[in-house]
Amino acid sequence: MLQFIARRLLEALVVVFLALTVVFALQFLAGDPVKLFLPTDTTQKEIEEFRERLGFNDPWIVQYARFLRGAFRGDFGNSLRQQEPALALVLLRLPATLSLSGVAMLLALTIAIPVGVISAARRNSWFDHLGIGATVLGQAIPGFWLGLMLIYVFSVWLRVLPTGGRGTWLHFIMPSITLAAFVAARFARLTRSMMLDVLGQDYIRTARAKGLAPLRVLYKHALKNASLPIVTLLALQLGQLLGGAVITETIFAWPGVGRFLVQALLNRDFPVVLVGVFLTAVLYSALNLVADMAYAWLNPRIRYE
Amino acid sequence: MRGTALALLIALLLGLVGNAPAPTAAQDRPLVVALGAEPRSLMAMRIVDWTTNVQQMNIYDRLYYWDGFPPRIKPSLAAELPQTPDDLTWIIKLRPGVKFHNGEPFGAEAVKFTFEWLLDPRNESHYRPRFAFIESMEVLDPLTLRIRTKEPAPIMRYWLVDFTVMAPGYVRSVGNVEASRNPIGAGPYKFVRWDRDERLVLEANPGYWNKPPAIKRVEFRFIPDFSARLASLLAGEADIVKDVPPVAVDQVTRSGLAEVRGVASSRINYLALVNFKPGPLQDRRVRQALNYAVNVDEIVTNLFKGRATRIPGALSSINENVNPNLKPYPFDPERAVRLIKEAGYDPTKLEFTLDSPSGRYPLDKEASEAIASYLGRIGIRVRVVVNEWGTHLDKIINRRTGEMFYLGWGPALEAQGTIAELFRPERTYSGFGTPNLTLEINKAIPIVDLKKRQAAWHLIQVMLYTEAPWIFLWQQHDLYGVNKRVKWEPHPAEKIFLHDAEWVRR
Repeated sequence: MLQFIARRLLEALVVVFLALTVVFALQFLAGDPVKLFLPTDTTQKEIEEFRERLGFNDPWIVQYARFLRGAFRGDFGNSLRQQEPALALVLLRLPATLSLSGVAMLLALTIAIPVGVISAARRNSWFDHLGIGATVLGQAIPGFWLGLMLIYVFSVWLRVLPTGGRGTWLHFIMPSITLAAFVAARFARLTRSMMLDVLGQDYIRTARAKGLAPLRVLYKHALKNASLPIVTLLALQLGQLLGGAVITETIFAWPGVGRFLVQALLNRDFPVVLVGVFLTAVLYSALNLVADMAYAWLNPRIRYE
Repeated sequence: MRGTALALLIALLLGLVGNAPAPTAAQDRPLVVALGAEPRSLMAMRIVDWTTNVQQMNIYDRLYYWDGFPPRIKPSLAAELPQTPDDLTWIIKLRPGVKFHNGEPFGAEAVKFTFEWLLDPRNESHYRPRFAFIESMEVLDPLTLRIRTKEPAPIMRYWLVDFTVMAPGYVRSVGNVEASRNPIGAGPYKFVRWDRDERLVLEANPGYWNKPPAIKRVEFRFIPDFSARLASLLAGEADIVKDVPPVAVDQVTRSGLAEVRGVASSRINYLALVNFKPGPLQDRRVRQALNYAVNVDEIVTNLFKGRATRIPGALSSINENVNPNLKPYPFDPERAVRLIKEAGYDPTKLEFTLDSPSGRYPLDKEASEAIASYLGRIGIRVRVVVNEWGTHLDKIINRRTGEMFYLGWGPALEAQGTIAELFRPERTYSGFGTPNLTLEINKAIPIVDLKKRQAAWHLIQVMLYTEAPWIFLWQQHDLYGVNKRVKWEPHPAEKIFLHDAEWVRR
């Protein structure tokens, strides 16, 4: 097991390194950031001085070496727009993103797993049809539309929820619903189809024939065996949420990472963008590692191989 | 059973209502201004950026500001307008008895310190190039600063407007990082808290030199999405929101809660005709023809619903140096065709590319499309390319636009900041320059005498009118959504100085 983890850690390191290198290379294609953050009346001479001071005039290999050395020490340089350390600016926004993704994921799973299980167990019942309908809707409704509708109904019309921002648990309701709608739909569909597969297996029939309680068969025997792909999806989905739920964060003025990174991207604030890619790569790798370990726990066959 | 469930649900919903912040007397809650972004820094005189500056000025106050309509320069932290005993000397007299939030006295030393700070390259201030002409500074007495410049620099008069002043003792003792995290100024509001990407909270400074602010607590909230910003106004959360799109005006009015207050801004929108590349646009007659071919008035009436003010030349009607004798090019498509033919072109064979941003200025994309369709009526084919803002700016800076591009410029309340910035050949924001024009502009820049200066800029505006470097469009109207319980009027200089605001008494 230790060897397994060590190998995966090494792989993760390579992934992070490659991601950073690719983004570093891409920034040369994106155009000159200097003029975007300086006022429009800055003279050519001043712009040149800025470029020189920021090291944009050095050969790319020098810039790359400097970048790697800095990144290794956790120093990605200052944000071009805000003149503060880029890493700190992004980390500052991480708690907001973590809490929102956590709540949204919890909400999604609490709804999706039972819906998926019951739909599979009662295939073609009215509950199943309703569930399927709801998941199609959940996947089809664009997040920005759902978000704005929620705002108009609950904030502007009924005035019971704040339009956005952070502060109380009330502020979590609409953004987490918006995020969870899409995620829950995916989980419900996946759970349902996996359960349908498993429920047709011989060992389920055996379990039932033995006279085990139906609920016990459903949750202990069937769901546990159906859960491998669900864990995979969980890891992927969490990675996506943590990388920043851009649209939701923007609409609900949620001070998270995604909204910040997209602004940085639009403003070509490369140090911030690089930090974003770095953190996303690290998070994805970590989540994948955790998912792999969870497989081993859920399915002993993986452990023994 | 069903009945009980329903009752429970209703109780739950009511519970939610009960938990929502209860509506309190207006005086108890902060005044909320919803902006699209947080400040890029809270350090005074570091960054040139509307969103940043508009928040900072409430903390720092400024030496001078634009007041009234049409706007004129008035002293705020200064005691009177600057004196210029000769072309190279500026005397700035300051208001007595002013103190910074930490009790430090305000005076000539503080202004001198702020200048020195921004001129120090290590501080990376955007303002450094603007004041590069400063030769020396001398504190004549605690309230009088004398500045000498290397060359005549009449533009200084305008650069001193919105000049914010920092507390020297404080900045020296805590350093830049802490001073920008916890800013101390002499303005009407004291810094309380800055939650990144969430809000900036300020409270009234009871010791403000002018009467203490009527509103005790203010909050700038950062809501990047426009629809959400509008929703926060309609939900009664935000009190002031800038840039309501003309199509949403009715919605705001109907809400009963808020209203739209508009002002003709000093920001102008124009369609630049690029004359740097060989082609028909290098011929003045073709450029004039394009001005005749577009019915700008109709665009203002139909598309903007009257919420734009047409301009005949390169300056807005409220610019200090505007030439009032210019009249807009009339709509005359026949004359347009004639002029193009005179220039040796067939309008039906002309093809142009028009680069437009989308959402940067009011109805920019729509206006570009309308212009293209007017030109289409006399046979000119115009392809409109809509760009993301960064790309648009990049294309303009690197001269990679099509033959035409749409852009806005402002706030612009005097001539040099517009004409000298846009019409010298090394500048790319207008796509136009001629040696003659450059000569006249370079002559006008150092003129200190206000009357002679006025005459010089008037002449240049006539030259520009004839050269037709743009399709001259309009000054945009700034539309603010404002909660009805707030007494506050927008200003053409795009400032949100909350000392001017009050709660409406009921």
